Amino acid sequence: MKYIGKKLITLIMTLFLVSVAAFLAFQIIPGDVVTSILGTEATPEREEQLRQELGLDKPPVVRYFAWAADVLRGDLGVSYRYSKNMNEMMPVAELIGDKLPVTLWLAAVSMLLIIGVSIPLGVLWARSSNHFLDGLLGVITQASMAVPSFFLGILVTYLFGILLKLFAPGGYISYQENFSGFLGYLFFPAMSIAVPKIAMTARFLRNSMLTELRADYVRTAYSKGATKRRVMYRHVLRNAMMPVVTFLGMIIAEIVAGSIVIEQVFSLPGIGRLLISSISTRDFPVVEILILYITFVVIFVYFLVDILYRVIDPRISEA
Amino acid sequence: MIRIENLSVAFDGAEVVKNVSLDLVDGEVLGVVGESGSGKSVTALTLMGLVSESAQITSGRVLFDDVVLQEAGKPRDQALYRRYQGAQMSMIFQEPMTSLNPTQRVGRQVEEMLWLHAEHRPQGPWKHASDALLMSGRRTGQKEEFRTRVLEAFHAVGLRDEERVYASYPHQLSGGMRQRVMIAMALILHPRLLVADEPTTALDVTVQNQIIALLRKINSKQNNAMLFITHDLNLARRLCGRIAVMKDGQVVELGETEEIFRHPRQEYTKRLMEAVPSRMKKRTWAAGMTPDSSVPVVRVHDLSVFYQDGSNSLFAQKKKQCVVADASFEIYPGESLGLVGESGCGKTSLSKAILGMNRDIRGEIVSNTIRPQMVFQDPYSSLNPTKTIGWLLQEPLRAAGALDQSKAMTRADMEAAAYDMLHRVGMEDKYFHRKPSQLSGGQRQRVSIGQALITHPGLVVADEPVSALDVTIQAQIMELMRRLQQEMKLAYLFISHDINVVYQMCDRIMVMKEGRIIEVGETEKLFRAPREEYTRELLSSS
Repeated sequence: MKYIGKKLITLIMTLFLVSVAAFLAFQIIPGDVVTSILGTEATPEREEQLRQELGLDKPPVVRYFAWAADVLRGDLGVSYRYSKNMNEMMPVAELIGDKLPVTLWLAAVSMLLIIGVSIPLGVLWARSSNHFLDGLLGVITQASMAVPSFFLGILVTYLFGILLKLFAPGGYISYQENFSGFLGYLFFPAMSIAVPKIAMTARFLRNSMLTELRADYVRTAYSKGATKRRVMYRHVLRNAMMPVVTFLGMIIAEIVAGSIVIEQVFSLPGIGRLLISSISTRDFPVVEILILYITFVVIFVYFLVDILYRVIDPRISEA
Repeated sequence: MIRIENLSVAFDGAEVVKNVSLDLVDGEVLGVVGESGSGKSVTALTLMGLVSESAQITSGRVLFDDVVLQEAGKPRDQALYRRYQGAQMSMIFQEPMTSLNPTQRVGRQVEEMLWLHAEHRPQGPWKHASDALLMSGRRTGQKEEFRTRVLEAFHAVGLRDEERVYASYPHQLSGGMRQRVMIAMALILHPRLLVADEPTTALDVTVQNQIIALLRKINSKQNNAMLFITHDLNLARRLCGRIAVMKDGQVVELGETEEIFRHPRQEYTKRLMEAVPSRMKKRTWAAGMTPDSSVPVVRVHDLSVFYQDGSNSLFAQKKKQCVVADASFEIYPGESLGLVGESGCGKTSLSKAILGMNRDIRGEIVSNTIRPQMVFQDPYSSLNPTKTIGWLLQEPLRAAGALDQSKAMTRADMEAAAYDMLHRVGMEDKYFHRKPSQLSGGQRQRVSIGQALITHPGLVVADEPVSALDVTIQAQIMELMRRLQQEMKLAYLFISHDINVVYQMCDRIMVMKEGRIIEVGETEKLFRAPREEYTRELLSSS
């Protein structure tokens, strides 16, 4: 309990520092929001008016605290660029709320694939005394790790979309209208994300298990008359998972923060694409919230990894 | 019952076990004694079917009750072996710290032995899955029965509070308790053969004694045969009816224990016995110094050493722990002061404080010499592997020169001093340009000693300097340390867990327990009439 409290304080402090840093960054980087919205042809009066509407005439410190107070109250502000209808700008909460499920579901399907495939594969690889299998897996994983993800996305689109016609490339189905169709479409981008990660995780797990196999307790388990399979799954796997869990945590954080390239290739309206477009249009309220979101995700995932550590290895919780 | 016939085992073509023949009958205790690399462990692992797959049996066979377990030229039949492993023959290992799975409760680990050899284990294509279900406790009746048996086994090996032990993870138990758990696990199915590979080497002396007593008790009660592997001749003598002495993969001598001790036939056996430090023997090394009124090299007065809690947090108050409390003693020029006590008693913390490596202290350390130097236990990891011996020997001189300009020496002078030191520690010139990896353990320890002595300190702190070495090398290093002591008027603070080594080496002995110095005395006197009960226990243990 005390531990969770400590982590919570760290989380809040980090979020505060990051939000200040992000805010400051937008003061420093060149480019004016007003100019970018109105274009260079606008009259100075119109510019001044918009500046006041957006509250940009006040000093940065005042603006930061006004914004922070709003966020704490749950009001995330409105976008500078996206409009809801003719008269209203789009609230950031609504904008992100719309895109978040896409990214989260994509992350969920990818993680399911990664964990479901890489762990049995890693164990199989560590067990293989067969040199051919060992070498084959080595080559396959090496190749999968080396392929850049956009290219993998194109390959998957070509192979499964155009040749095998398992899905319609570019035919994104919104989760609001047809959820199972949405998941079916999502499977392919998820696969493009998962393949290199599966290769890395499996390789990682294999190495970790091979190290662990030299441990004394493995010999003890064999001396009891246990089979190789049993030793692998019952004794070695859990101990070998420690470094792998960290690695999986890194992957989760990366995917949940939005896979920019894959979302682009498969034209998924997710967080990654929103982030790119908001940065390029200086849609500051959106970017600021996205940065906080990503920070939160990363810290939260590492917190989960920490908890998982304690579950896996009883020695840690007492240290 | 067990016959090893003419067994040879090779790794990558190099034979490490050569034509070994041993046999054991029920109830017999056979000791296998040898130095590291003698092939004793490989022999035991081969017998147990645990030697790694890269090992090849090049000749001979292993039989259990006339059943051939393995034979030269045939692959090991794992299925056959698994029926014997654990049920008919089981093994306990040297390192109780690492021989248990750190992430599983010890009760479950012992219970696994029962599951693995239970009669009605599932068969068929789904056997792995149904096995896992069984283990997770679906058939509660059997689970309860197994649990009771494990608790009984814990009780039988002298573990009290069995329920708590059952639910503990290995790191929550002490080394002695873990070794008891290992023994309970090995014996729960009443195997006819127990292979014990240095089962007490990693334990504190008093615990060592208890484990040996336990093994002996079990042996007389269950009448199981035991193959006892050790480097310690004294230990083998206390426990074994017969002894096989191994050297370079061969059994050089085999016979009744007392017969071997009284009339060793082989030269090697004789040398081995002479090298073993023992209280039976005359103290050849101790100089017989008596502290006179001369000025001590170091005087420690009311010294307490603290240790800061390692937790690195913004929020928690750092906790301080007192690891050495109110220590007072002197070390005189030319004497060896032994420091004994169990692990965790504060020996190392005390020595670090004297060396000035721990500043969180209270009390007084008055030194009448230049900065004391240290010799470490592990000669393999305490020398920088990328540097040459010559460079390593000069390093303390460079450091001294950097600290104090007046002590700075020219390059040529430093080199000359390094060569001189190389000779003093009994090594030839040619080693000057070699790297540590090209040296044997004994040679490395000589270099470590040379490093410590090259600045001519009045005091050297030696932390278990011979514990990682084989007995014959051990004797040479002790000899060397004694000679250098006389030549250079050195004082040693000699830390060791081995009472016999301390007896041979030290003029006075200081006993530590739980951070306090409970007794100091001249070696002979202390051995003859220890004042404290704890000292008596410590001394009687080997």
